[in-house]
Amino acid sequence: MPESLLTEFIGAAKSVGLNYGFLASVSERTSWLRGVVVTIELSVLSILCSLIVGTVIASLLTSGRPWLARPARAFVEVLRNTPTLVQIYCAFFVCHMLVNQSVGAQNNPMSAYAWVVIVFSIHFGAYHAEALRAGIEAVPKAMRESAISLGFSRRELLVFVELPLAFRFALPSLVNNLADLVKATSLGSAIAVGELTYASLMIWIERDNVLEMMILILLVYGALTLSVSRLGFLLEKRLRMPGYGH
Amino acid sequence: MKTVQILGALGVAAVLSGVSIAAHADATLDKVKSRGSVIVGLVLSGPPFGYIDPKTQQPLGLNVDLAEDIAKRLGVKLESVAVTPATRVQFLQQGKVDLLLANMQLNAERAELMGYIPTPYGDAGGGLITLKSNKVTQWEDVKGKTVCVSQGSNYAKPLDEQYGANVKGLPSQPDSLLALKGGNCFASVHDSAPLHLLVSDNPEWKDFELPLPADLIPLPSVIWVRKGENDFTNVIDAFVQDWYRTGWLLEITRKHRIPITPLLEEWQAKYPVAKK
Repeated sequence: MPESLLTEFIGAAKSVGLNYGFLASVSERTSWLRGVVVTIELSVLSILCSLIVGTVIASLLTSGRPWLARPARAFVEVLRNTPTLVQIYCAFFVCHMLVNQSVGAQNNPMSAYAWVVIVFSIHFGAYHAEALRAGIEAVPKAMRESAISLGFSRRELLVFVELPLAFRFALPSLVNNLADLVKATSLGSAIAVGELTYASLMIWIERDNVLEMMILILLVYGALTLSVSRLGFLLEKRLRMPGYGH
Repeated sequence: MKTVQILGALGVAAVLSGVSIAAHADATLDKVKSRGSVIVGLVLSGPPFGYIDPKTQQPLGLNVDLAEDIAKRLGVKLESVAVTPATRVQFLQQGKVDLLLANMQLNAERAELMGYIPTPYGDAGGGLITLKSNKVTQWEDVKGKTVCVSQGSNYAKPLDEQYGANVKGLPSQPDSLLALKGGNCFASVHDSAPLHLLVSDNPEWKDFELPLPADLIPLPSVIWVRKGENDFTNVIDAFVQDWYRTGWLLEITRKHRIPITPLLEEWQAKYPVAKK
C-alpha cells in the first residue's frame, strides 16, 4: 500500500476518534501483518491435518473391529469433552516439558506453533470423525451389499464407496467444524504464538487502542470464516450427485 | 401499561442522573465518599507485591497494605479487584476501579492516557531469571534467545529493540515462569523483587538464578487514576508523601523483603521523617 494512502487513512480514522497510528510504524505494521499470515497458515495447516486425522478415526470407529473401534471411541470422547484451551496448555506446558526431559532442551524440535497445530489436528479431527461416522452410517445398506456382491474388499468398500458418500453427507458439519477451527486459532495467543490475536494484543497493550484493534480482528476473522463457508458451499454444489438426496 | 410507563420514566431518570455524575469534573472523590468504599485494582501475580494467601484466601502483599492504608485514610471501606497487566488499563478507564496499585511504572505513553499520583511509592526494573547452567553474564547474552515476559510488560520493547531477544508474551507472570521451567524459554524477565524472593525461598527454583546485578529500565512505580481527577490525585498524593514522612513506607517495604533501591532512598531524602 502506498505510504500516502496509509497516512490519509490514519488521518481520516483519527478525525472520527479512532487511533490507527500503529500502521505508520513499519515494525508494528509488519508484525501485525505477520500475525494475519500466521493465522492463515495455522488455519490451512490445521484444516488439512485435522481432516486426515478425522478420516482415519472415522474409519477406525466404523471398522466393526472392537479392538480398533474402542480406543478410537475413547480418543474421540477425551478430545471432545475437554476444553481446547486446556489441551493447548497441556501440550505446551506438560508435553513440551516431557519432551525436554527425554531429549534435552537443546534438541527439542517442538515449538508453541507446532503444538497448536497438533492439538487442533487431533481436537478438530475428533469432531470431523463424528461427522464422518454419521455420514458412513447414512450410506444405504443396499449400496454396501451391492459393493460386497461385486467383490469389493473391506478396504475398497471404505475408500471407494463409503468415504466418498460419507464426505458428501458430512460436508455441512465438516465446514461448520472448519469455521470453528479458524476462530479457535486465536487460542494460540495464550501460548504466545504470533497469530492475529496475539499480534493485535501486543499492539493494544502498547497503544491502548483496544476498540480499533477489535474492529480489525473482527474484519479479518470474519473474512476468513466467510471464505471457509463459501468454499464449503461451492464444494457442496460441485460434489452434488443429481437424484441422490439433493 | 401504566407501570411500564412509570418504570420507563424511572429508567430515563436513572440514566440522566448517571450522566450528570459522569460529567462532574472530579467524580471519583465524590463517588468514593458516597459509595463508602474505594475500589482498588490490584495485580495479584505473586509475592511480595500482591498474592492470595493460600491458607485464608485473602489478598496479601505490599500493594494490598498500601491500598488498605489509602482506604483507612479516606475513611472508607476497601474493595479490591484483581486485575492483570493486560486488562488493568481497561478496568481503570471503564470506571470499574477508582485507582490502580498494579506494579505499573511511569512512562510517557501511560501518562498520556491516564493520570497518576506524582509521588512514587517505589521503583521496579526487570530482573532476568534463567537456569544457572545457561551462564548468563550480561543483558547482551539474550540476543536471539527466546525470552518470556507477561503480556503488557514494558520490558518487551527494550529486550526486543536493544538486546535483540525473541520476546514471547504469555498471559501472566505465572504462565511465563511455568514456560521457563518447562524449557519453553531461555529466560524470563519480570520485576526483579519477586524473582529474588522466588529463587532464595523456593527449593523448586534452586537451579535458577538472577545473574545480572543491574535491573532493566528501573522506573518509578506510581498509583494510577483516571485523567483529570485533580482533587482525587492531590488527596492521594498527600497520603503517599505522608508514608515517607512517617517512615512507614520504608518499614513496610522492608517488611515485605523488597530491596531498598537507590531511587527509593532518594525520594525518602526528599520527604524526611519528621523528628518527634
